[in-house]
This record gives sequence, structure tokens and C-alpha cells, in this order.
Amino acid sequence: MLKDAPKQIVYGAAIESAIDSIQKLLAGNYAVSKKAIAILLLQGDTEIADKVKAREGDHFERITEIISQAQSGYGQELSYVMAMSRQQHARDILAKTVVSQPKIGKGFAERLSRITMHPVTGIPILIAVLYVGLYWFVGVFGAGTLVGLLEENLFQDWLNPLLLDAFEWLIPVDWLRNLFVGEFGIFTMGLTYAFAIILPIVGTFFIVFSIIEDSGYLPRLAMLLDRIFKKIGLSGRAVIPMVLGLGCDTMATIVTRTQETKRERIITTLLLALAIPCSAQLGVILGILSTNGMALLIWIITMLFVLLLIGYLASKVIPGKKTNFYMEIPPLRLPRLSNVLAKTYARLQWYLKEVVPFFVLASFVLWLGDLTGVFDYVIKGLEPIVRGIGLPNETSEVFLIGFFRRDFGAAGLYTMVEDGLIAGVPLVVAAVTLTLFVPCIAQFLVMIKERGKKVALAITAFVFPFAFFVGFLLNTILNALGIKL
Amino acid sequence: MKINILPKILNRGKSAGSCHTEDELSDNTGIAKVAIVGTPNVGKSVIFNRLTGRHATISNYPGTTVTMSRGKIKIADIEMEIVDTPGMYSLLPITEEERVARSILLEEKPNLVMHVVDGKNLGRMLPFTMQLIEAELNTLLVLNMMDETEAAGIEIDINELESQLGIPVVSTVATRSHGIDNLKIKIEEAFK
Repeated sequence: MLKDAPKQIVYGAAIESAIDSIQKLLAGNYAVSKKAIAILLLQGDTEIADKVKAREGDHFERITEIISQAQSGYGQELSYVMAMSRQQHARDILAKTVVSQPKIGKGFAERLSRITMHPVTGIPILIAVLYVGLYWFVGVFGAGTLVGLLEENLFQDWLNPLLLDAFEWLIPVDWLRNLFVGEFGIFTMGLTYAFAIILPIVGTFFIVFSIIEDSGYLPRLAMLLDRIFKKIGLSGRAVIPMVLGLGCDTMATIVTRTQETKRERIITTLLLALAIPCSAQLGVILGILSTNGMALLIWIITMLFVLLLIGYLASKVIPGKKTNFYMEIPPLRLPRLSNVLAKTYARLQWYLKEVVPFFVLASFVLWLGDLTGVFDYVIKGLEPIVRGIGLPNETSEVFLIGFFRRDFGAAGLYTMVEDGLIAGVPLVVAAVTLTLFVPCIAQFLVMIKERGKKVALAITAFVFPFAFFVGFLLNTILNALGIKL
Repeated sequence: MKINILPKILNRGKSAGSCHTEDELSDNTGIAKVAIVGTPNVGKSVIFNRLTGRHATISNYPGTTVTMSRGKIKIADIEMEIVDTPGMYSLLPITEEERVARSILLEEKPNLVMHVVDGKNLGRMLPFTMQLIEAELNTLLVLNMMDETEAAGIEIDINELESQLGIPVVSTVATRSHGIDNLKIKIEEAFK
């Protein structure tokens, strides 16, 4: 059997001769073929143009001339014309190699896929997913049942008293012993928070998230929410970083790279820093508010309101062009347990590696601050603000540790609720303020890395007072309406 | 025998000119480089994991990989570095992640480029394959997700595709490890 030799793509005659002439003018050394460079130049690749300009000197002007000459022969942009030629070539090859007999009738997966994206059916499905996945599994089971077991039964009743005894015997000096088992002790605060509160919540969240992402639901959610997101200057493309932000805002800030324009990346980074709680925060808040439906509802409405309002305002203020949204929709697939577990494990490992040293360090800093009296000073400074939004004084400690990490602060709030120090309206106000409150240090560092110092600082400078302002407003409104929770 | 292959591979891609440019500096490690490229969500990371035995995060939505993952393997005595890249749709980048992905092709001179495509959407992805061939990159086409492709009633004549394109083509179901051994053989052959 005789086989055809592979055929090259044939562009129009004018383009082909332009490719030839440019190729001949290229004298510099490039990592890919000169033909490829010529083709990219003709398609208006600015990155390549800069490189060629730097290397070819005088010839570059001549190259630009050749390009505009070639362009003048076509009604459309050369990049479009050339893409068409390539597609034609691809079609020719496909015709010789692919036989397609589409199966008749739409399967169950296809129908399910469609209803997840349709506004009328999609929104109830989204609510159901959030209810079962987040509220029930992460909030009630993770933050309620599991944290109860670990924190109260294992750590409070058994492990910490044991450690307390051991350290009393080991270190007879009060102030030094406090470093390990005191109010802000490495064991009694840092590691207890990390393993008894954060771990079960983040763990259950990562399981839910892995199942959702492997099923292919996220791109469909992106399509569903595209229209709403357009109103806040974003496209459906922002859905994935935002949903990922519910897991960890730091991770999500890195993922904003998938967005097309700088404008979108800035808006998403801002919203992630402000209005998207991370899984530990979310779990703790769902856990402590789950016993009070009204309180939870107020928290949800406030967060959604802030998210949409700030997104809307940001899209008005931040200049830049709007983008069109298109995303590949992969088929719905049944998640594989092994992949879900492997991924959850990998994410937990990553999370703990980041969180544990930080919690230990934070315990140390807080212990030092407590010992030297600096801590009291800062707390005293925060107290008027905290009281101003109707919260008990102890909450300032929570804000201070929340400054180190969001999840750390949320865990602090959890223990306050347990001790009966906060409930009702103040609890909702504290939950809202703490959710909006500054991004954690890791997220702040990633913001600097991804968006630059100026943007990162501007966002933080906005978020900090804004969180307290919303808290103040919410407290005033709830009190004026005489709402009791 | 095989020892003689290596220098030949490593010289591939380095053009005849001897003047030093920034591009040449990045490639002095003395180890063969294989880049995995393709549209988002076609299974690049699964293939990377299958080849390297590592655990890059995989999921069912586009854009899971935003930075490069690198791993080392040895196939038939050839030591190589495999690089998993963020998704890209064509050689002409639009987003920042695509620019990151392209930099490996334009600056690191991979000895082999594995273009991973979703068999169901071969038509949409083939233009990128053609761009890679056009750029004279040593390209290997991997038709992944062949289980879903067959289920969709699509049949692909691999041999004919190979001769039409003039490059080796492998079919895989990476999530089930189907075709990975064959892929390794093709990688080895691509170095000869």
C-alpha cells in the first residue's frame, strides 16, 4: 500500500511568500524554527515581536513592512485567516482518519448536564449541592460532630490535661510553661486549633470539593453563574478561583492566573480577600451558626450582598475591557474514590505543612506579646472598635489572632462560643466582620507575588476598615429592627 | 549502543549557529527534556503522573495546573525530565497561564513535545498539533480519553493519522493506565 507523504499546511500565496521573506531576514538564533517565528510574527504575536526586534535590529523594520503588506491583501486579520487555513487542513486530515457515528438519543448524563446549566433548574441544584456538601457535610458533620469529638473529648478532656500535668512536672516556672500549655500555648492553643478544629473541617471540605471537581460540576457552575458574574465585572471564568477560595483563598489567588485580563484578576483577588471565607472559616461559622437558622441566613445574605456590591463597584472603578467567556465543558463523570482520597490527602498534607508551623509560630508570638504586655496594649487599642460594633471585649483577641490567619481567628471564635462568651446578634456581627476581615498572611504574600505590592496593599487597606464598617452597619440595623437571635 | 544516542538527542534543536543567546543558557543540564502540552482538561497531569509515578493534582475542570511540574524518569536508559504544563489552546497565547506554558516550547528547547488531546475533540485540537509540527518541534501526538471517544461513537485510524501528520500517534486511557506502556515505547522511539 502506498501512503501519502505528510502534507504541510498551505496558507494563501501572499502569506506563504511573506513567511519565506521573513524567514530569510531572520539572522538571530531562536529556540524554534525560523518558519515558526515568521508565522507567529504574521499572527501579531507581540511577545515574539519584542524578541525579534531586540535581535534583528534594522531588519525588524523591513519585517514589519512585509507583515503589513501581507495584511493588506486580506479583509480579515492574518491570525484569523491563518487559523482558518489550519482548520481546513485539520478537516482534510479528519476526513481521512476519523469515522464518527454519533449515538442516537441523549443519555442520562447529557440531560443531567443540561439541567445543571439551565437557570431554572440549575439554581435549585446549586442550592442542593451547597446544602448537602457544605452545610451538612462540612458544617454539621465536620465542624459539629467531628470537631466535638476531637476538640472536647480528645483534646480538652484527655490530651491537654495530660500535657498540663506533664509540663507542670517538667517546667516548674509559670511564665515559661505557659509557652507550651498556657492560654496561648503551643499545645493548648496552636496544635489544638490545628488538629482538633481546623483539620476535621478542612478535611471534610476537601473531600466534598474533590468530589465536586472530579464530577465536572464546576465548569457547569461557571456557565450557570456567568450571567450574574458579568454584572460584577467578571466572567464565568472567575467561578473556579472563587469556589476554590472556599477551600483556601491563598490557593485560589494563585489560580486567578487562568483569567484573561488584569482587570478580572484584580477584581477576583479583591473579592477573594474580602468576601470569600476559606474552608476553615466557613466550617467554623456554619458549625456555630447551624443551631440558629436565622443567624445563619443573616450571615449568608450579608456576605452575598457585600460580594455583589463590592464586585459591582469594583467593575465600575477598575478600568479595562470586558471579556467574553468560553469554557470547555468536560463530560460529567462519576468521581473515583481513589482519586478523591489521594487528592484530599495531598491537599491536607499541603495544608498542614503550611498551617502547623504557622500556628506554632503564632502561639509563640502571642505568648511573647502576652508576657511582655504588648498584647494587652494592642487589645486595649482594639477594644473601642470592637465595642463600637457591639461585641464583647474578648472578641478583640479573636481579631488579633485572626490577623495571623483567618482560620486561626475562626477557631478562636469557636472556643468563645463554647465558653458562652458570645451569642445572638453580637455573634452574627462577629462572624461577618471576621469573614470580611484581612486576608491571612499567606494570602497577603501570594497577593504581593501575583498582583504586585501596590495592588496588594491597596486591597488590604480597603478590606481592614471596610470589615468593621460592615460589622457596625449590621449591628446598627439589627438593633434598630429589634431583631433578637 | 544506546550511549551513542544521547549526544545526538541533546544536540537536537540546537541550531548550527554558535553565538550565545539567552535561549541557549537554559539548556545545559545534559538531560533530555520532554514537554507535555495541550488544551486544558485533556489529562496532561494524569499522563505526567503515570509516567513519573508522582501525584500532580488532577481534576475534572480546565486549569488545574497553573505552574509547571517537573519529574525525572528513565526510559530505556535514557534519563529525561518530564515537564507538565498549564493548558494552552494554540501556539499563540491569550492568558498568562498559556504564556507560562509556551515559554517551555520557546525557551527550553524540549527534545520531545507530547501533545495530549481529547480523542473526542480531535478536530478542534489538531490545528495546535500542526503548529507544533510547523515549528519543527519533535512532536508526539497522544490521543487520550479513548474510552469516552469510543463511547461517543468515534473511530480514529491511528496509522493513517500517523502518515497524514508524519509524526507518531499513541492512543491512551490514562486514568486507567491503558496505553501507557505503548506510550513509553513511542517516547523511546522518538529519541532514535
